Parts: sequence; structure tokens; C-alpha cells
Amino acid sequence: MTVARKRKSIVNRGSFRVLGIETSCDETSVAILKISKNSVEILHHEIASQIPVHEIYGGVVPEVAARLHVKETVELLDRAMATHYSLLTTHLPFDVIAVAQGPGLATALRVGIDAARTLAFALEKPIVGVNHLEGHLASAWLVSENRKHWKFPILFLLVSGGHTELVLMKDFCSYRVIGRTRDDAAGEAFDKTGKLIGLSYPAGPQIAKLAENGNPRAFDIPRPMINDPSFDFSFSGLKSAVRRLWEKMPQVVRAKKKTRVDLCASIQEAIVDVLVAKTIAAARKHRPQQLAIVGGVSANHHLQERLRQAVKKELRGVSLLKAARGLHTDNAAMIAAAGAWHFRRGERHDWRKIDAQPEWDL
Amino acid sequence: MRNVTLKHGKDCKRFRVSTENDWGELAEYVAGKLKPGSIVAISGELGAGKTTFVKALVTALGNRRSVVSPTFALMRSYKIAKRGNLKRLLHLDAYRIEHEHELLALDLDEELGDGHTALVIEWPENISKWVKKQVGVTAVIIK
Ligand SMILES: Nc1ncnc2c1ncn2[C@@H]1O[C@H](COP(=O)(O)OP(=O)(O)OP(=O)(O)O)[C@@H](O)[C@H]1O
Ligand SMILES: [Mg+2]
Repeated sequence: MTVARKRKSIVNRGSFRVLGIETSCDETSVAILKISKNSVEILHHEIASQIPVHEIYGGVVPEVAARLHVKETVELLDRAMATHYSLLTTHLPFDVIAVAQGPGLATALRVGIDAARTLAFALEKPIVGVNHLEGHLASAWLVSENRKHWKFPILFLLVSGGHTELVLMKDFCSYRVIGRTRDDAAGEAFDKTGKLIGLSYPAGPQIAKLAENGNPRAFDIPRPMINDPSFDFSFSGLKSAVRRLWEKMPQVVRAKKKTRVDLCASIQEAIVDVLVAKTIAAARKHRPQQLAIVGGVSANHHLQERLRQAVKKELRGVSLLKAARGLHTDNAAMIAAAGAWHFRRGERHDWRKIDAQPEWDL
Repeated sequence: MRNVTLKHGKDCKRFRVSTENDWGELAEYVAGKLKPGSIVAISGELGAGKTTFVKALVTALGNRRSVVSPTFALMRSYKIAKRGNLKRLLHLDAYRIEHEHELLALDLDEELGDGHTALVIEWPENISKWVKKQVGVTAVIIK
């Protein structure tokens, strides 16, 4: 069978399975998705490097760059294959491989890419390189309810430890970044201000937890660039502001539980205010059909709630789409999903040539 | 306002940087000294202005891409043109590095040894063993 006919048969069957591989920074993850005409099913999904730190906060401390991901990648792939390989039919559990190609750490990305190329070569399967950020957007598409409302253009707020971007998705595989952070990401602002006031890493979930009992107006924290006409963000000023506040505070005041919860509430409010204001302003200008929030910080309930209220009040007919449960942070299911978008359009990479693109923009 | 001390071997220079927009002069000075293999270790507390300085440095090196904090990415790379053999600036942030063995994942020695690369580091204290092994490190201390 020629390669062209083989390709056609997979897509024409109406259903295909994607093996996703993600190793772009701290996490190592492998997933298998089954994409059919009217459904998307996660057949298999595993994230290796997450170590739960504290039950209450539900935070995770991934080992930086997961050393080289090699051990985890091999183990995860092995398990995915062993679980889904059918001895009876000798059918491989996937038709195409999707791998995160960038942005990310070159050495980390290459672990996933090398694994993908090896499989592509040995098993004669097509390979699709995926932008990690596009993967985050696809994490919202993995919710079946969201897929029913998937009308373009969709405005995405992508917020995580490493990213703060406003992205307009005009169609599958067609994006425009209309705003981004100029210095620190929103998740970084949470983690670093938390560290300044003595919380342990990762401070983001702890701030959110403590903020529940605090007064968000107790401290005056700046909202950098909130009135700037661009849709860019800046969060580095928050660090300096919180540090000055903290350093001026007498030890007895610092030690009070009330100070802490109020400060957490005030910090969270400042960050959320900026995120909501910019997202709504961008939506007013670009008139998307839907709004979506994805990325690690999008799991923050206060952000979700504030954005939901703002959308209801200010954007008629627009609903707020959220990432699938458990898929806010880096994972391979979202990479497989974005890979499926490209594969459906007939895109493939040559396994001999695909390489990491550490600075890849969306 | 920030007071910056620059140390290279026995040389010691002091700069005063009035506002966040005034890092240019220091950046030009440091950029002028960068060669392939150069390492600049930038120290200072959280929010001192390490990344702000690297922004100015990348601008001084003629790259107009905007520099963002590499804390989560760990490392970013910036292309450099018209500086002879120096073709690339790596921006490493060791803030999240807890054990120096994690550095292995970055292939730093190999990257730096390619004859075209200089390196700037935020939070060099977190990888002090590795930094001490390097020769000719320029220290930038921001207060
Ligand atoms: N010369 C200056 N005078 C006053 N403020 C400054 C000056 N330079 C920078 N700043 C401000 O200080 C903050 C520095 O943030 P930046 O992210 O650069 O710090 P950093 O040292 O990289 O922090 P981190 O430890 O989180 O990496 C910014 O808000 C910036 O506007
Ligand atoms: Mg910094």
C-alpha cells in the first residue's frame, strides 16, 4: 500500500487514535486519545513526575526538568503499549504520534521527540509535532460539553507558571497572540509573592486557599498595566510592591494569621483583577464567539468565578469554557488532541527532520 | 533606584541605576565585554531587577525580542548578530533548581563550549558549585 493511500484509509475510517508525548519542561506524560466523528475519548493518560506535596493544597512539586525525562518516558510508553496492545489482533494502540516540539527546554523536548521518532521509524507511523501552547488550548476541547459550543473565533486566556497569553483562535490550527506578559507570568506572580510572605513552593494554591478567609481590599497592591490600551500584562512590579509592604511590617503584625489571609486575598485580587480586565477588554475588541481559560492558574476558583461573572455581565451570548479536569497543567492528552487537529488536516512531519523548537511562538 | 556592583577578577565597578528604564548604560558596558564562553552571574533578591537587566542586555546586543522571566522555562536563548563569534546569549534562571544535579538536564557545559555562546544566570547562588568551577565569571550584584 502506498503511503498516500494508507493515510487516507486512517482518516476515512472516521476514527483514529493518537499517541501523545509531552516532555517540554517539568512533566513527563504519555496519553492515547481516540478521535471519532462525534466523540473524543481518552483511552490512556499518565503523568509521571508529579509528587503530591500536601493533600490540603493539592499542589505538586515536579522535579525541575525531570532530570532528563528519559527513564519516565520509556516507562510511560512501555505501560501505554502493554496496556493497550492487543495480542489477538496484533494491532498497535495508535495510528499517529503527536509530540510537543516547543516551546520549552531543548534538552527536555528532545527526549520526547527522540522517543516519537524512534516509534515512527520502527512502527512506520506518521508523526506530528505540536506547539505546547496549542496543546493547552486543546485542553478545553477535551470536554465534550465545550466541543458542542466550539464556535470560532474563541478567545483564550492561557495562564500558567510560565505563560500568560491572550490568544485568538480563528480556526483549528490558526491563532493570533493578541497579548502576553512582558515580564513574569501570572502563576509566577502567585508563587513568588507567596514565597516573599513565607509560604512554601508552590505558593499559588496556598494563596488561593488562605485568600478564602481574607479581605481582598485590606492591602493596596498595584494592578500593573490594567489601564494600558494594549492587551499585554506585567506582573514583576507586584513582587517589589509585596516585598516593600512586607519589609515595612513589624514582626508582630506579620505573625498574625489575619495579616496573612488578608495579604493573600489582596494579592490574588490584584492578579485576578488584571487578568479579568484585560480578557474582557480583548473580548470587547475582538468579539469572540466563546471565551476559554486554560493553563495551571485557570484552576484558581476565584479567577474562574470572577471571569464567569464578568462574561455574564459584559459579553452577551458568550460562555466560558474551561480546561478538562486534571488537564490544567502540562499533560500529554492535550498534546494528542492538538496533534489530532493537525493530523486531520493531513499534516505530518518527517521523522528524520523533526527537531525541538525551544523558542516556538504560537 | 538600584545600586549595582560589577566584579570581574580584580576589577570592581559601581553603577547607580535610577529607574527601571536606566539599565542601558550598564547593559552596554557588559555587552561590550561579552565573548563566547563568557558567564555573567546576576545576584539580587526577589524583584531586585535581574531580569530587567537582562532585558537591557539583550537590547544592547541588538536583539529586539522581548525578554520575559525564565523562571519556569529555566532557560531561554537569544540570537545575537554582528558581534563576531558571539551568536547566542543563554538566559538561565536557577531559582527553581534545588539540587545541582538537575543542571545536568541543561547540557550547560556543552552549550557553552560551542564557541558561539555566552551565558547570563539569575540566582547563581542555587548552582554555586557549578559557577565556582567556571573561570572568568563576571558578577553583577544588584541591591
Ligand atoms: N533601577 C530601578 N529602580 C527601581 N525599580 C526598578 C529598577 N529596575 C527595575 N525595577 C523594578 O523592580 C522590579 C524588578 O523585577 P525583575 O523581575 O526584573 O526582578 P528579578 O530580580 O528578576 O526578580 P526574580 O528574583 O523574581 O527573578 C520590576 O518591577 C522593575 O520595574
Ligand atoms: Mg528574574
